[in-house]
Amino acid sequence: MQLHEDKYKDLNLKIGLEIHVQLKTEQKIFCECSTDYINSSPNNNICPICTSQPGSKPMGVNEKALENLLKIGLFFGCKAYEKPFYVQRKHYFYPDLPSNYQRTSQPILGDGNFMGVGIWEIHIEEDPGRYELREGKVDLNRCGVPLAEIVTAPDIKSPEYAREFLRDLLLSLEYLGVIRGESGSIRADVNISIMGGNRIEIKNVNSVKGVYKALKYEIVRQKAVLQRGGTITMETRHFDEGSMITKTLRKKETVADYRYIPDPDLVPIYISPEKLQEIESVLPESPHNKKKRFMKEYSLGEEIVDALISDLYLSDFFEESAKKSNPIESGKWCATELKRRLNEKNLSVSTSKITPKHISDMIGFIERGELSVKNAKWIIEDAVDTGEDITSLMDKKNFYQISSEDTLLDIIEKVMGDNPKAVEDYKSGNENALHFLFGKVVNETEGRAEPSKTIKLLKDKLCMVN
Amino acid sequence: MFTKDLIEDLSSNSLEEHIHKKIEEIQKKDKEINSFITLNIEDAQNSSKEIQKKIDKGIQGKLSGLAISIKDNIAVSKLRMTCGSKVLENYIAPYDATIINSIKKEDGIIIGKCNMDEFACGSDGTSSYFGPTKNPRNIDYVPGGSSSGSAASLAAGFTDLSIGSDTGGSIRCPASFCGVYGFKPSYGLVSRYGLSDMAMSLEGPGPFAKDTYGIALLLDIISGKDPRDTVTVESSKSYTKTVENFKDQDIKNLKIAYAKEFFEGVDEKIKNIILDKISKLESEGAKIEEVSLPNIKYAIPIYYLVVFSEFSSAMSKFDGFKYGHYVGGQDIVEAVSNTRETSMGIEVKRRVLLGTFITMEEFRGRWYTKALKARSAIKEDFKRIFNSYDLLIGPTMPTLPWKIGERISDPLSMYSSDILTVSANLAGICASSQPVGEAKGLPVGLQLHADSLCESKLLKGMRAVELACGGI
Ligand SMILES: [Zn+2]
Repeated sequence: MQLHEDKYKDLNLKIGLEIHVQLKTEQKIFCECSTDYINSSPNNNICPICTSQPGSKPMGVNEKALENLLKIGLFFGCKAYEKPFYVQRKHYFYPDLPSNYQRTSQPILGDGNFMGVGIWEIHIEEDPGRYELREGKVDLNRCGVPLAEIVTAPDIKSPEYAREFLRDLLLSLEYLGVIRGESGSIRADVNISIMGGNRIEIKNVNSVKGVYKALKYEIVRQKAVLQRGGTITMETRHFDEGSMITKTLRKKETVADYRYIPDPDLVPIYISPEKLQEIESVLPESPHNKKKRFMKEYSLGEEIVDALISDLYLSDFFEESAKKSNPIESGKWCATELKRRLNEKNLSVSTSKITPKHISDMIGFIERGELSVKNAKWIIEDAVDTGEDITSLMDKKNFYQISSEDTLLDIIEKVMGDNPKAVEDYKSGNENALHFLFGKVVNETEGRAEPSKTIKLLKDKLCMVN
Repeated sequence: MFTKDLIEDLSSNSLEEHIHKKIEEIQKKDKEINSFITLNIEDAQNSSKEIQKKIDKGIQGKLSGLAISIKDNIAVSKLRMTCGSKVLENYIAPYDATIINSIKKEDGIIIGKCNMDEFACGSDGTSSYFGPTKNPRNIDYVPGGSSSGSAASLAAGFTDLSIGSDTGGSIRCPASFCGVYGFKPSYGLVSRYGLSDMAMSLEGPGPFAKDTYGIALLLDIISGKDPRDTVTVESSKSYTKTVENFKDQDIKNLKIAYAKEFFEGVDEKIKNIILDKISKLESEGAKIEEVSLPNIKYAIPIYYLVVFSEFSSAMSKFDGFKYGHYVGGQDIVEAVSNTRETSMGIEVKRRVLLGTFITMEEFRGRWYTKALKARSAIKEDFKRIFNSYDLLIGPTMPTLPWKIGERISDPLSMYSSDILTVSANLAGICASSQPVGEAKGLPVGLQLHADSLCESKLLKGMRAVELACGGI
């Protein structure tokens, strides 16, 4: 998939994302409460600090949270800022925010890139609690779970690419082991502008699918407004997951409204070059280096490599399968059919049942002429779903190709005998009759006739008829 | 030494009786003084029995059952913490402040929670929702603030020691007006965990006592690094020894500076008493010299900018939904306004509004960040002086206590009374106030400053002044 989708080319679409993910730690960011806010009854996973009792103070920023945040930044090729950073207070009234200000750090890393999309900055902040609007109930168990906010440049040019970018970004973070697994969801603020309109921010979209739907809706809405001669003014909108549409939240919002001040309760944090080095040394190979290596080592094309490295589990999976099969073939299958099926099923190779052996075995069957490329696609789907080994799938589906000339000739003769009219038509110059007869052979073999051999034998046989 | 002798007496006399007497005094006289908001009588009596048993076995903690009153903006588990405001009238603290933990561990007996200016916004102890505190030396006069009840309860003999908090003089001012010892520790020496926020970058808890020894004793207990307050540092915890080991002749080793800026506009009677004590120290052998602090004139505006900004942030949580009285309204904005309108006093509202305005302009880096920078100029002034001197000496307050009700309508004159005390908070250094005389029958306090984390020097200075004033 490309950054640019042709269908949006005339819109000059610019999409930027502010992505919030929960960092994986044992304890909350400023206190000793567990980050497992889900498995305790409402308002039971709290303490004076995370409920902001009068007089309580935050403890220093959780070290593990900071480490995980640095991992994310360095992995995306960001540079860490050298000067000490402050934790700031961002003031706003909301029922799930006990102090009525959220602690959020200044940017800690910036200037990185992932899948061709610029990463502007990454900072750390605290998660608020949860507010059930309809019931008017607040659960503070989540207050203080550490969050990373990743802000991208407006480099994304289509809702489809936004979806793919987010999916692959999440996979990378999961691969790095830095985000909370079971939370599964992301929260994103989505910025979008189209030619002739101002930037619109859509707040608090809670899933990858939601981001895609919100963008699709906004494009249609904004185009309609502009076509009617209206204007798109800067505003913040809310995405309703139920109806999949966006609604105006507030017209004007400025930085001033948040009254940012450095939190006087926390000393500024300095990240030493030694710390950065230490983290860098335990990081997996960066996507950038992996790309260079794959292209050189396996002679794979850029598009295939991009598709492989955007999912690090998949890139590991590919390397494993390439040990026992032709890497070019393996790369192609992993990057196209396998990835397509995984996306379709909303799975990753780490969560599906398919193994690298499935791919290498399958390629072996194709190379020996025992499996058709067309049927191989079905094999991949079944392997993803069931994990059954290739040989038994081949049997079960009766996918073994017939490539023995004797067997094929027997069938061809039978088909020709059954369809004398078609044979006559071919003789009088009707090429379509060949396709008709080929179809009959395919039907007769339940699709297992090796195509190129069948065509050749059929032609030979027809020529021999007087 | 008064406090030391008291502890020795308690080891041979009945602690229960001692606590009982304090309670009797409170019940007899505090209706008038109004130094307590919440009393902790039953708990205190039970503790006295428990600690008596420990004393009998000789295993009691350092405080040995001394009565301690606590300013009502410091969390004591299961006791009400009102901060002197209607907003928190019914708030029961669910935890102990770090220093309260330490005090309980050393067998201090918490006798009650002290009256104070609402959310510590005031300099004379009259802005509490629970009514003004009166000066035990003369009940027509203010006790000073904002730790009014702490100083008054000690001066009235209701308690042996007290804990207050100092943001811009809130310990030293009432100590001076009530004639007791008050001590503002260096920023970071004493944990703020459990101290309700006023201006977080300026304040911290600190002790009140009847003498230097009592101050050092509490300081040994409450100082030191706390993981629950990131600005804290390690403490030597040898302050009591420093005071005990101080000899008359040690006065000769002290190098003391006085700044003319700290005498400008000061009441003549106060000035004369302080200058007299300075001469006394000089005659005992201390080296005394005049210095200048040119940036001190900016202290008041910088101080109030920082206070208003941080205070408006700290007060955000009191919206009637999470904390504070729920009043209700058409929507959230009206409900929050109603809560604030009906349960905050005028000075608190003034500060919240000014702070909100200042911080709204802050994204342009206009005031708050600039004020933080200007603080470093004041720090530099002090640094320069403490390179050559151990101590800086002067009066604590520019005036004597005023009559209750006299200054309520004029916030500017109230703010300017902090002129001699706010610099220590801006610079993060330590400072003290101790009684050195009387004028018109009202106490006069002498203020000493020492460099950041030079508490031992400051205690030596206090002890020298104590001895020079005929103390024992
Ligand atoms: Zn907590």
